[in-house]
Amino acid sequence: MIAAARGLVDVVRRWREVARHRHQLVGINRRNVELVYANNPRKHYPIADDKLLAKERLSAAGVPVSETLDVCEGLFAIPRVMTALAGAEQVVIKPANGSGGQGIVVLGERLAGGGWRRPSGAAMPAREVERHLAEIILGSFTSMLADRAFVERRIRPHALFHELWPDGLCDLRVITLRAQPVMAMVRVPTRASDGRANLHQGGLGLAIDLRRGRTFRAVTRGHAITHHPESAMPLLDLALPHWDEVLDVARRAAAAVPLGYLGVDLVIDVARGPLVLEINARPGLEIQNVHGYGLGRAVAEAP
Amino acid sequence: MKRTTAAVIAALIVLPAIAIALKVIVLGYRLGDVLPRTLYRVSLTVRLDGHGRDIKVRTFVPVTDDRQTVTAEEQTARELRLAFEPDGGNRLAVWTGGGVGDRAEARYAYAVLTEAVRYDLAPGLEVPTSYPEAVARQLLPEDAIQVDSPEVDALARRIGADRGDVRQRLERIYGFVSGLPQRPFKGTTDALTALRLGEASCNGKSRLMVALARHVGIPARLVGGLILKAGSKKTSHQWIEVYVGGHWVPMCPTNHHFAELPASYLVLYRGDQALFRHTADVNFDYRFTITTERVPSPKAKAAFKVWNVWALFDRLGLPFSLLRTILMLPIGALVVVVFRNVIGMPTFGTFLPALIAAAAGETGGLWGVVAVMILVAVVFLARAAVHRLELLHSPTLAILLAAVAVTILSTALLADHLGLPKLTRITMFPLAVMAITAERFYLSLTEQGARKAGKELAGTLVVMLACFAVMSSLALQVLLIGFPEVLLWVVAANIYLGRWVGLRLSEYLRFRPVLTPGAST
Repeated sequence: MIAAARGLVDVVRRWREVARHRHQLVGINRRNVELVYANNPRKHYPIADDKLLAKERLSAAGVPVSETLDVCEGLFAIPRVMTALAGAEQVVIKPANGSGGQGIVVLGERLAGGGWRRPSGAAMPAREVERHLAEIILGSFTSMLADRAFVERRIRPHALFHELWPDGLCDLRVITLRAQPVMAMVRVPTRASDGRANLHQGGLGLAIDLRRGRTFRAVTRGHAITHHPESAMPLLDLALPHWDEVLDVARRAAAAVPLGYLGVDLVIDVARGPLVLEINARPGLEIQNVHGYGLGRAVAEAP
Repeated sequence: MKRTTAAVIAALIVLPAIAIALKVIVLGYRLGDVLPRTLYRVSLTVRLDGHGRDIKVRTFVPVTDDRQTVTAEEQTARELRLAFEPDGGNRLAVWTGGGVGDRAEARYAYAVLTEAVRYDLAPGLEVPTSYPEAVARQLLPEDAIQVDSPEVDALARRIGADRGDVRQRLERIYGFVSGLPQRPFKGTTDALTALRLGEASCNGKSRLMVALARHVGIPARLVGGLILKAGSKKTSHQWIEVYVGGHWVPMCPTNHHFAELPASYLVLYRGDQALFRHTADVNFDYRFTITTERVPSPKAKAAFKVWNVWALFDRLGLPFSLLRTILMLPIGALVVVVFRNVIGMPTFGTFLPALIAAAAGETGGLWGVVAVMILVAVVFLARAAVHRLELLHSPTLAILLAAVAVTILSTALLADHLGLPKLTRITMFPLAVMAITAERFYLSLTEQGARKAGKELAGTLVVMLACFAVMSSLALQVLLIGFPEVLLWVVAANIYLGRWVGLRLSEYLRFRPVLTPGAST
């Protein structure tokens, strides 16, 4: 009896805590109705969904973006792109309408016998690159019927990000509401996440204090941590390089498109500084778990 | 919520309510008619050893009247021929055969819908002094109904059945006879024997009650029939009807029904008759086998005249199952919406669970789940097999579709072989939809891992079962046929949920770090 009563009291206490916090939390329903539908007219989605289109719009507005080396518009263009690639190395092939990092292939240095070395160390022969381009064109990585592929120069990440994940790319996700940053985090791929910055699969999320430009909380799989689980690198109070510039680029990127609620994904290149990789008109909500508080509170407290 | 949205929802709730009210008040629709009815399928099997002689077997079979509707009659017979003869108000089935051998067998089956009836006997009704001629015959004594016996007269006086109005007399007779101890007699008991023994089986009680009623001037007759209940039996039943105010009013003193008859009573004949008569010494045996199923009320079908899609489907020769699938899909979709947007359960595809549930209307929920599992397993294996060939997407899907087609037919063959009629209905599953589902399961498994894929598959099956539970409600199906405006309520619910910004149940778990920051760090 007493145990049951104690259990009940505990449930009530837990529920009151939940009730206290839930107003500032944004769930998928609230995000869609109050943020996405209210701020992002559907007809403008293609600007965000199509990475090439987004980059065109952004660079036209003077926002620094990762450099596009080549665009493969159809199967007919594959031979031309392959010829152009023949001398290139350290490039990335991406589908214009991919999501979740699907279909992205990184080509490292050229191999003597033709083909490239991938970051994983495996060789990728030219024939396979050709086939991958075809897959992208035929829509394997998109919900649409067909897609375009494009080639970017591979980013050389700033030292901090290189230290966090030496094998690839960490990116910054900045959530903007009506062109003002309201939340930001670093997404760190790990070996556990198979090199993907997916927070559900063992990637790390580092919450950034917008005013100070420093990380204040690190989370993996919903648990707060203080050190990198694989390299033991401390993760808290890291100073983000070029922070003011990052916020400025995010603001300008958000202002350049007719979408009021955005996830702006940036990287910091050693040479070029902050660059926008892509923008997302329906950014995920996991950033709230990374921060330990909801988007509602973040909007209320935004600088 | 915006005021326009609220106004639209209010209108969508009120307008159908008005339409329903109009149909009920003006067009005579009855909401109670949407409830399904129990259809009894009765099969009578008779067996005998003819020893090479000429054989005749006759029994009473039911006729359609106000409270019972007989349909789907069919018969099979070996060495015997069946003919029907009217016999007074009854209908006789007569099997005849010449030189009939041993182990001859005949079967006569029918479906019957019955209704419960109930009469209110008005007080103050005097016992009439004269009746129409046909009715007056039901006042006369018969061999086993000794109306004129002094013992019957004494009993009638003792219980006061000779005084008062018709209802009082009947109540006293009924009270006495139904109060006699029950005796599981086989065979026939006449009225006087029942009286002397002070206990009786159904036919003894019924004869005694008929004798008493006739003695005090109320026409009465025996009724023979079956108490319908799923199962197999030989026992028939007898009760009576008394003539009051121009109606034959049923009474069953054995099972205590006064001026009422439950829906389970099937009338086979009226009068003091034997249910079977047959040539002697033939090892005659018989058995009634009864099964039940739920069917839409024929009253609903007759009453629902506006937007008469039911009659349309009958005219076009399309099955009822198609009609209900079409009408119930929006309901199933609403169930999916609730699961996705309120509970937050992941599923493959948006309305896929509702589509599978519609297909499972033929297999039943359990076999539906089995069917989905079989298809997913096979397509998964096929997908894994073609994976190494590194084919492009569309040709891969086309191959999986072929796998689904062959699997569905093979499963049906196997199910038929194993005697699983429900599983054979896997053939009703939407082919392309199943191929895409299974493909998505495979992609989910390879890209997101077994945990996520398993969750989505489990979610799909759970939501499918929920959809099935709702969509297979016969009452809801008939309601939608008669009152399709109910779909506007579904629309209203969808509008409400479409603007609902609350947390999904699953998000209380997902956002634990935000909701209970104390507990998670």
